[in-house]
Amino acid sequence: MKPLLSKITTPFLLYVLIVLGVSVPVYYFVIDGIWKSELDEHNEIIVKKTTYELNRLQLSEDSLQASIALWNSIQPETNIHKVKPGDLLQDSVYTIEKPQRFVEPKTIDRFRCLSSVIQINGAPYRFTVQTNIEESVETIAAIAATTLFFFAILVIGLLILSRKISFRLWKPFRDTVEKLKAFNLNSQQQINFQQTDTIEFHELNQSLSKLLEKNVAVYRSQKEFTENASHELQTPLAILKNKLDILLQDPDLSDEQYQLIEDMHKALSRSTRINRNLLLLAKIDNSQFDHSERINMDALVSQCIEVMQEHFEQKQLLLQQEIQPAVLLTGNSSLTEILINNLLLNAIRYSNVGDTIAVHLNQTSLAVHNSGSTSLDKVLLFKRFSKLSKNSQGSGLGLAIITEIARYQGWTVDYQFENNQHIFSVHF
Amino acid sequence: MKILIIEDELELAKSIATYLSEQHYLCEFAPTLQDALDKIQLYQYDCILLDIGLPDGNGLKLLEELKIQRKQDGVIIISAKNALDDKIQGLQLGADDYLTKPFHLSELTARIYSLIRRKQFNSSNIVVQNEIQIDLLAKTVIVNDLPVVLTKKEFDLLMFFIGNKNKVISKSTLAEHLSGDIADMLDNHDFVYAHVKNLKKKLQDAGSNPYIKTVYGTGYKWEN
Repeated sequence: MKPLLSKITTPFLLYVLIVLGVSVPVYYFVIDGIWKSELDEHNEIIVKKTTYELNRLQLSEDSLQASIALWNSIQPETNIHKVKPGDLLQDSVYTIEKPQRFVEPKTIDRFRCLSSVIQINGAPYRFTVQTNIEESVETIAAIAATTLFFFAILVIGLLILSRKISFRLWKPFRDTVEKLKAFNLNSQQQINFQQTDTIEFHELNQSLSKLLEKNVAVYRSQKEFTENASHELQTPLAILKNKLDILLQDPDLSDEQYQLIEDMHKALSRSTRINRNLLLLAKIDNSQFDHSERINMDALVSQCIEVMQEHFEQKQLLLQQEIQPAVLLTGNSSLTEILINNLLLNAIRYSNVGDTIAVHLNQTSLAVHNSGSTSLDKVLLFKRFSKLSKNSQGSGLGLAIITEIARYQGWTVDYQFENNQHIFSVHF
Repeated sequence: MKILIIEDELELAKSIATYLSEQHYLCEFAPTLQDALDKIQLYQYDCILLDIGLPDGNGLKLLEELKIQRKQDGVIIISAKNALDDKIQGLQLGADDYLTKPFHLSELTARIYSLIRRKQFNSSNIVVQNEIQIDLLAKTVIVNDLPVVLTKKEFDLLMFFIGNKNKVISKSTLAEHLSGDIADMLDNHDFVYAHVKNLKKKLQDAGSNPYIKTVYGTGYKWEN
């Protein structure tokens, strides 16, 4: 993952590098061409001028030869000599490279040459002019250096500019991202995005606002639905329960009919329980509990065990307690009590007669151990209505409630299977 | 004994009235808050059963009205809401008890019984049931002038039976009464059997008549 800025800058700079790289030879050929044509023109002018001047002097043959000899000796870059019979009388233009003779260290110089046949006093002479021209290496080096310099300026400028611009430009975007990160569907609060004059961001913010608004509304109505449905169910459940109570008083009731009523009562109790638990979950979801109370966890655990005592005895369960004193926590005491009760009842319910249940409480965790034969599916375990045992009367919400309460108070729930023991633990 | 049932759900009100009238309570109905407010102005009730969610307003308003009029009627809130806030607010406003729907009629009757005894015999809070004397405040029981030591659960059970004389009470009802919310999470309700057995034994050991009968195999009845 790379930031957007570097993703854009890298190919951009690469492109610039390629273009500038290609420009170096192009520049070279262009400049070299200009040089050469300029020098050719220059050489031609020298030839013409010299020819003209020599002819104007109207020298005798002897003094002409002496002048040419002198010319040749003081102007080493030019050479005039008589055309030998049989020589081609053609002009030629060429480039030569030769070492310099009078400067140390010896360097190679490049010369643009013109070899032309001229007529002096009616006789043909070959006039050769050599003019120093910039060496190709030097030209290329100079162009490359210049290009590199501009490339460096381009890169630095681009980086600084894009960083500055993007910082300012992406500010509303970063603001939006920060707000989205902090957004919690549960808190039911709408996000107010920063005003921006960038069309794209404005559109993004508008679409997000719309989406969130809809989500919040759907979520709220769903939560309200759960809560309302549970509430509305309480009354018909109450009517059913009360009618059964009245039916139970019928003097003509047979044993069989009584048993039927009792069975109905049981089913009714279970639906009531499920309903209550759903309501509890909805309320936790709706954050309707104060979770800033001080809780004396050791006292609360002891109290819950005390209440549960007869149920331990009923199943002849051996209880091992290891409760550290002065475990002070922050949370909701009613919810925490429900959490502890659910943990204990769970252990009692799934223990066989005569088993041992261990309760460990220290500053960082509460753990309840009970014996078992096989490990339970950790994923399914804490899911709502995923019952792992066949013949259970439970609501299928007990562990989901434990998880929700823990989450609500910032705790975590864990399950482990060790040494044939189910260990449910809550970490504060 | 006069009871006012403030409940907009007719079937529920009828069931309550049917059950209570067998216990010789006189029941009147008020399906709306306005009806209820009218009635408490005109009459005195031993106990008012108050549903908070009424079609024309919050039932808690009635509690405020009772307070203003300095009426001493006992009030039991019956609510579909289990909300702790409602409960605390209701009790602060002067309600005597709070029952969450759905509830057993025997549970309601037991609560009404205790409430009326508490309210009306403030100084001598003693219920006499033939040879059995029960002190509601001290939570002690005397049979034939002999003190019987009961556990808290056994005392609870005794009061439940006395409040539901001659009614068939199922084991599950007693389980719910004794262990509250956790009852339906328990696989079996045999602990009820143990408590009832102990109570029976203690009372009979002290020379009381065998009032508690087992009916239909698993149900109980206080016969008097």
